[in-house]
Amino acid sequence: MSLAKRLPAKPTPLYPLMRFLGIAFLYIIGFLILLVATFAVFGVAPNKALFALQQGALGGGPISPAYAISETLVRATPLLLTGLSIVVAWQTGMFSIGGDGQLLMGALTATVLAQLQHVVNPNLLIFLMLVCGTLVGALWGAIAGWLRVKRNVQEVISTIMLNYIALYLVGAAVVGPLQESSHSNPESNLLPDKLLFAHILPPSWSGGITTRLHSGVLLAFLAVPIVWLYLYRTLQGFQLRIVGQNPEAARAAGISVNQTRVRAMAISGALCGLAGVIQLLGTSERLSANFSPGWGYTAIPVALVGGLHPIGTLLSALFFGALEAGSVNAEQTLQVPASLIAIVQAAAVLAIIGVNAWRQRYPTELKD
Amino acid sequence: MNSARDTAGSTTPLAAPSSTTSSVQMQQIVKRYGATIALNGVDFDLQAGEIHALLGENGAGKSTLMHILSGMTQPDSGTIRINNATVNIASPREARRLGIAMVHQHFTLVPAFTVQENLALDADVPLHALRYRTTEAAKPALDQAAALGWQLDPYARVEDLPVGIQQRIEIAKALATNAQWLIFDEPTAVLIGEEIEELFRVLRTLRDSGKGVVFITHKLPEVMALADRVTVLRRGQKIATAPIHEVNPTLLAQWMVGEAPKTQPLSESRQVLRPLPTTPAFRAENLTVLGDKGESILQNISFEVYPGEIFGIGGVDGNGQTELAETIVGLRTPKSGRLLWYEGEFRPGQHPRIGYIPQDRRRHGLALTMTVEENLLFEAVKEAKYRFGPFLRRAALHELAETLIREFDIRTPSAKLPASALSGGNQQKIVVARALHHRAEWIVAVNPVRGLDINATQFVHTQLLNAKQRGASIVLISTDLDELAALADRTVILSNHQMHPIDLIQRDATQIGLLLGGASTKETP
Repeated sequence: MSLAKRLPAKPTPLYPLMRFLGIAFLYIIGFLILLVATFAVFGVAPNKALFALQQGALGGGPISPAYAISETLVRATPLLLTGLSIVVAWQTGMFSIGGDGQLLMGALTATVLAQLQHVVNPNLLIFLMLVCGTLVGALWGAIAGWLRVKRNVQEVISTIMLNYIALYLVGAAVVGPLQESSHSNPESNLLPDKLLFAHILPPSWSGGITTRLHSGVLLAFLAVPIVWLYLYRTLQGFQLRIVGQNPEAARAAGISVNQTRVRAMAISGALCGLAGVIQLLGTSERLSANFSPGWGYTAIPVALVGGLHPIGTLLSALFFGALEAGSVNAEQTLQVPASLIAIVQAAAVLAIIGVNAWRQRYPTELKD
Repeated sequence: MNSARDTAGSTTPLAAPSSTTSSVQMQQIVKRYGATIALNGVDFDLQAGEIHALLGENGAGKSTLMHILSGMTQPDSGTIRINNATVNIASPREARRLGIAMVHQHFTLVPAFTVQENLALDADVPLHALRYRTTEAAKPALDQAAALGWQLDPYARVEDLPVGIQQRIEIAKALATNAQWLIFDEPTAVLIGEEIEELFRVLRTLRDSGKGVVFITHKLPEVMALADRVTVLRRGQKIATAPIHEVNPTLLAQWMVGEAPKTQPLSESRQVLRPLPTTPAFRAENLTVLGDKGESILQNISFEVYPGEIFGIGGVDGNGQTELAETIVGLRTPKSGRLLWYEGEFRPGQHPRIGYIPQDRRRHGLALTMTVEENLLFEAVKEAKYRFGPFLRRAALHELAETLIREFDIRTPSAKLPASALSGGNQQKIVVARALHHRAEWIVAVNPVRGLDINATQFVHTQLLNAKQRGASIVLISTDLDELAALADRTVILSNHQMHPIDLIQRDATQIGLLLGGASTKETP
């Protein structure tokens, strides 16, 4: 208040970088400790398991690097888009859990449009699927936003309920109008090749094996700079963050809090809807009752680990993707049960939450 | 209510005073907050068996003094003696051990719990006891309430009860600790008519049973009706302590408000623009405003503000200042009435451009986790010149932020620090800079210099006067009458849901004090 009050010290230019590296180091140490501990507890030699993980994610041994990295990227793609969706919603203070439902609605929309494959030019149809899937995802998110601002229904509840609606809509569709021609499995027909995303890596790069790396992956990575630009370089993004940090102050500054919340939920839903279409056209190739293994839920730790920042979420989605690709390899080569891999993933999240809690107790930020 | 009164003289005895001559003495209490002196050598004494009113305006130091007695704040110097033994009240727990209890203005109850559970929470039963019985733990407090003639339903949920009953729970809680010294912080502020009568009856009962009761208030009629003695504080100084039969409301009002302020050099600027233009810039017609809980805050008020005028609104906090401010910047929809801007539609944000300095900077003014720069730019980003399509012109905005930091002397090592890293005064400067820099035509400032040092205060006042000179219409809502006297062209006092015009130039301390104390409309129910 007075001159006597000591001003906070001015940070040196290198300080943010050093801080970031220090924290990253802490995360890695914490994660490795938990990883080794988990493997040890379940009787798997940690060094072998780590090696199998690394081979699956980055290549080495019998696996070509191009193939392994492709797998990592393909598996990171849905997590990246749904993670970005969480970033947008949570930065606005909307604790959306609705990623999975929005993603399913996007995939469902695209599958419905795919029925027009004999009438519409395939390239135009792919475009339509992307656009409409995104829009329906946006609508699914906006419903939760609208319920919040008009009826004060907490989005945590409404998005979960909307997830169920989407899940059972898909379930009904794949045993009903969209079921495959033999009518024996709860899934739709395989989409024709002309509607699928191209595989972009020549097989010669990966020792003759076709990688699953498809053009949709590029689309997902393109979303990172767009979301970043939106949040940090546009008026809407700025106002969205004010609403997230202090809705009262936003209101006092003449920002329409309700409008901003609905808009953020729509954008959040759009990203998930897009993820649904990309998964359908890139890897799944058909809609089925268990289309999503819970990407929309894994998105939350992905976004949290990424510090609710688009760039951080990119890194964290790559990390989760690598872990997934690695764990598939570990499962095949070491017969490590899949559930153990899930435990390791959860352990990774715990490690990060632990470090975050530690940082809150001993903050490095300047305080009043 | 009536049955409650019938049992008022019930035979269950309240804890008897330990000695008829016991007393609490606070001597030469000094408390500083930074450069501000909240209490400057204040003496205060409380006898067993009396109701001692502590009277003063907002910021006079009443609450600080009692927070010291109840252990919530530590004095910088001064001594406290209970029954002539010097004590060190280091915590509320210690105060409780010494028999001091405070009934807060804002209740400390868990809304979702039942009455019994709330009373048990505070009871002197070790929490780790395995056989913890809510019923037993709550019994002493319920007995105390019954002794006062209150039948509290132990199983009612607190959130379902009216405020008056909630206060009784608070009082029962305080009494259950066998407190000998009871402090009531503005207890009537939340009550209505009959509830106030009932509270007064209980306070008298407590006094007659030998307790020492402190009654913090700024309402003169209540002092006259209830107190045995009164102490008046003004700006951290004790003005006087007197038995109630030696004072009258007029005298108390003078003590509370002080003598007329010195003529300020600033008032020259006021003469320049007189007489005011004939068309008001802003006009409010028959405005009725409700509070957050639907309670009536302002009833049917009308006023107008002219271009190049500072319209001052004074009054004790909690008389509808926040609600009025929110209404006239378009954040709160009035229940009825009309707002006009140059006799046309009042569309806040576009027509006119608004500069709003809200009352509570941490709640309404700032996003503390965002940077100083971002906080400065809440309003500026709306201007077309700072945008390129949907994108922000970052260089221009950064330059603007740096300029504002310099011009408004915001002390921060970097524009990129979170606003939470700044001191309160510098945080306030962010809010002021944001409200004033974009040539707002309609400025509403609520206590804009609260927490600022002298230089910063002067700076903000100069900024407001500059805005006035360029023709802005300004509403200055302040609890500080000297601030209003120095700046405002016209001043009204907000009390009892109404606006009362006053003349601060020919300042009549008695009239103002009576208005502040809500005495003038005592007759109205």
